[in-house]
Amino acid sequence: MDGGLIPPRAATTPAAPRLARTVLAGCLLLVVALLAGVLLGPARVTPAGLAATLAEALGWAPLPAQHASNAAILGVVRAPRVLLAAMLGAGLAVAGAVMQGLFRNPLADPGLIGVSAGAALAAVGAIVLGPALFGSRAGGLGLWLLPMAAFAGGLGATVVIARLATRGGVTGVSTLLLAGVAVNALCGALTGLLVFMADDRQVRDITFWMLGSLAGARWVHLPVAATLVLLPALAMLALARPLNALTLGEREAFHLGLRVESTKRLAVALAAVAVSAGVALAGMIGFVGLVVPHLVRLMLGADHRLLLPGSALLGASLMVLADLAARSLAAPAELPVGVVTALIGAPFFLWLLRNRVAAS
Amino acid sequence: MIGRRAIGPLAAGLGLARGARAQGLPSRIVSVGGALTETVFALGEGARVFAVDSTSRFPAACAALPQVGYMRALPTEGIMGMNPDLLLLSGDAGPPEVVQVLRAARLPIAQVADGAGADAAPDKARAVAAVLGRDGEALARALAGDWARLDAPLAALGSRPRVLFVLSLARGAPLVSGRGTHAHAMIEAAGGTNPVRDFVGYRPLSAEAAAMLAPDAILMMDHALAEAGGAATALMVPALAVTPAARAGRILAFDGAFLFNFGPRAAHARLALARALHPGLALPDLPGRPWTAA
Amino acid sequence: MIEACGLTVAAGGRELLRGVSLSVRPGEVVAVIGPNGAGKSTLLRSLAGELRAPAGMVRFAGQPITALRPAELARRRAVVSQAVELAFPMRADEVVRLGRLPWYGTAEAARDAEAVENGLERAGVLHLRDRAYATLSGGERQRVQLARALAQIEGATRPAAILLDEPTASLDAAHRVAMLRGLRGLAADGLAILIILHDLNEAGYVADRVGVLGQGRLVALGPPAEVLRAGTMRQIFGVAFREAPGGGLLPDFPCRTR
Repeated sequence: MDGGLIPPRAATTPAAPRLARTVLAGCLLLVVALLAGVLLGPARVTPAGLAATLAEALGWAPLPAQHASNAAILGVVRAPRVLLAAMLGAGLAVAGAVMQGLFRNPLADPGLIGVSAGAALAAVGAIVLGPALFGSRAGGLGLWLLPMAAFAGGLGATVVIARLATRGGVTGVSTLLLAGVAVNALCGALTGLLVFMADDRQVRDITFWMLGSLAGARWVHLPVAATLVLLPALAMLALARPLNALTLGEREAFHLGLRVESTKRLAVALAAVAVSAGVALAGMIGFVGLVVPHLVRLMLGADHRLLLPGSALLGASLMVLADLAARSLAAPAELPVGVVTALIGAPFFLWLLRNRVAAS
Repeated sequence: MIGRRAIGPLAAGLGLARGARAQGLPSRIVSVGGALTETVFALGEGARVFAVDSTSRFPAACAALPQVGYMRALPTEGIMGMNPDLLLLSGDAGPPEVVQVLRAARLPIAQVADGAGADAAPDKARAVAAVLGRDGEALARALAGDWARLDAPLAALGSRPRVLFVLSLARGAPLVSGRGTHAHAMIEAAGGTNPVRDFVGYRPLSAEAAAMLAPDAILMMDHALAEAGGAATALMVPALAVTPAARAGRILAFDGAFLFNFGPRAAHARLALARALHPGLALPDLPGRPWTAA
Repeated sequence: MIEACGLTVAAGGRELLRGVSLSVRPGEVVAVIGPNGAGKSTLLRSLAGELRAPAGMVRFAGQPITALRPAELARRRAVVSQAVELAFPMRADEVVRLGRLPWYGTAEAARDAEAVENGLERAGVLHLRDRAYATLSGGERQRVQLARALAQIEGATRPAAILLDEPTASLDAAHRVAMLRGLRGLAADGLAILIILHDLNEAGYVADRVGVLGQGRLVALGPPAEVLRAGTMRQIFGVAFREAPGGGLLPDFPCRTR
């Protein structure tokens, strides 16, 4: 061969220290975001109130009565909300990165496998038909009816799409995309039908649900989110090497020893669970899954070993900050957090797109 | 109807009753729902209202108060941050998840059902008064009495005009009221009849169906009519143009909060609509009431 | 090393390969030639373990290829496909490093950096290591892919195999010679190499044996001097060839006359 024109130099930085640095920086950012999320907001929290709340939480001192309101804001309203935001942000961002890697397309997001449209259909169904089917109390399910419906709807749509795209154990990615388009359209039409049937009040509820909000976050949601969002997100981190192999293409990934079909199934299943649960708990929150992986790729490159944990941490941080903005910008009223993420995400995405066009 | 169970012990538990709140009564109220806010003011307790939602536009004093936004999209922290000692919620305020969080934060919440019909306004007066620690009986009786003065003349009516309530023309097809709405209740109470019987709530109406319904009058909220471009433009919408109401040019517009709140001004609203529907009919005047003055 | 026995592959109701038997031994370069659509790529994919044959079988190191675990196979068999495009931007050395994926979790993984280095060097692309893959020319990409394949099988229990699908297609003359010479060197080290080529002279230069595919059948297999005859080639490709004075075979283009 024509030999090295340039003498060999020391091997490139090994991935492990870079991973450690990435995770450390991401954790720092997340801690700052979490602190900001808990301490800031339209309701004023005094340092004394914070101290008293902490003292009570740690069992050091009973809560003085004058700090009861601070304690409620911190402990009941903000803490679960901020933690839920972080878990959802991490889940949506990692799922987005995994979908982009799987579809080998930087524009992919979990919406492609029907999660959002299926969840929306089921949620709107719960809003419109729930009272008729279950009575006003929704048969004891109460506030869980809508999330459960949305979760089932998101997963159901994904299963339908994956089945449609699988022949003889092989899931064709382009068929998956097309089946996704068709099932999304069908879900959209059925949702439209339900909106048509809805009364004026329900239409408003649907609108607000569609825009996404973390306002309903309570402590009881956290174990659910940890199990159905955070756990799948952590499991998806293990897909880093398979997704790296897929960067070369499906055939090349097979040549590199990857079990391509089982990887695809696992990736779709984990992303569908995480995103369905996220949509179930907080409605539709767009652009996090699309933009965060891009941002991380710009900073750290395309190696999924860095991209996935980086996306998780940045997604968590950005979601906490977006929710802080949602609470604060229009105070005392509250913006839907999906509006905030789209308001920030869409222009940023356009900027990315322009840069890509300029670069090529 | 009211979270009475919650209020007493919690108010005590949170140590709300102290200092200027000498009587142990809530004095920093966030009132959500137009009818409830009006009722608080009608009880003479308006000074205790600290903030209101966007549906609370009467009396005029509300305009000067902080806003918490639309009643079905309440902000958790926006409300918590106001540090209210009472959150007075209309029965259909929401979203339910937010109300749940506010309850979990042990905010004192009183929820009052937003009913419609003859007893609605007195019921709200009694319920709100109880929450405020006042006697609402006098107000409730006055409201019931005013309402009842129209019962006899309206019952004696021979014919009842068919009145179609159009909530909005913005969606293309008019969004009209079926059964089970405040508009339906008020039309029936004012000596009209709602021709739409097939469904509950609001639905878009096709031109064919509108022609079959043959309403004698179209009722709209004044701001919705203005948005639709005024009476002449609204009556050119196909679904309305085919009706007898359009041919007679009978389109009535009222302030929605006045007509459909079923708050303290319910009897006056009933009278106003009845007079508009039955121009020739002699109806008794109602006594002047302080709560009808802005 | 790799052995196809009575291999028949069909897709969409059409037989792409019919009863092909072919083996590649360690230290040997086997070139496969044939007209477009003859089934060359299908044969390569079958030998790589990608396609399941309804009839016949492929053995790798004596075992049915389908019985090997994918990662185990990948550590001993690398494939250089045509025109590999990346889904996301990467540097050339990152692409080469992807070749080390099958070694993840083994003791050999400690030698990843060294293997990447060696791959880059043997493929002659050390100077391209920091370049973005997307900015490389087709020929440069092809050589980076070869580097990736070499890194992939470095450390393998010998013998190992490497399969290449028209690797010279976008190379200039100098790089063609360099690549083919390099492949001969790899074979001398004991690698089994299967290469699909269009240029008969390249096949004659690099191969120990040449297989000729025509309409899914292996119509000839043997040393280049026996197979690459003008008459045989004329039958297969349907155009006339003439034997060049110094050896080699050229399609016989009639001179343009006015």
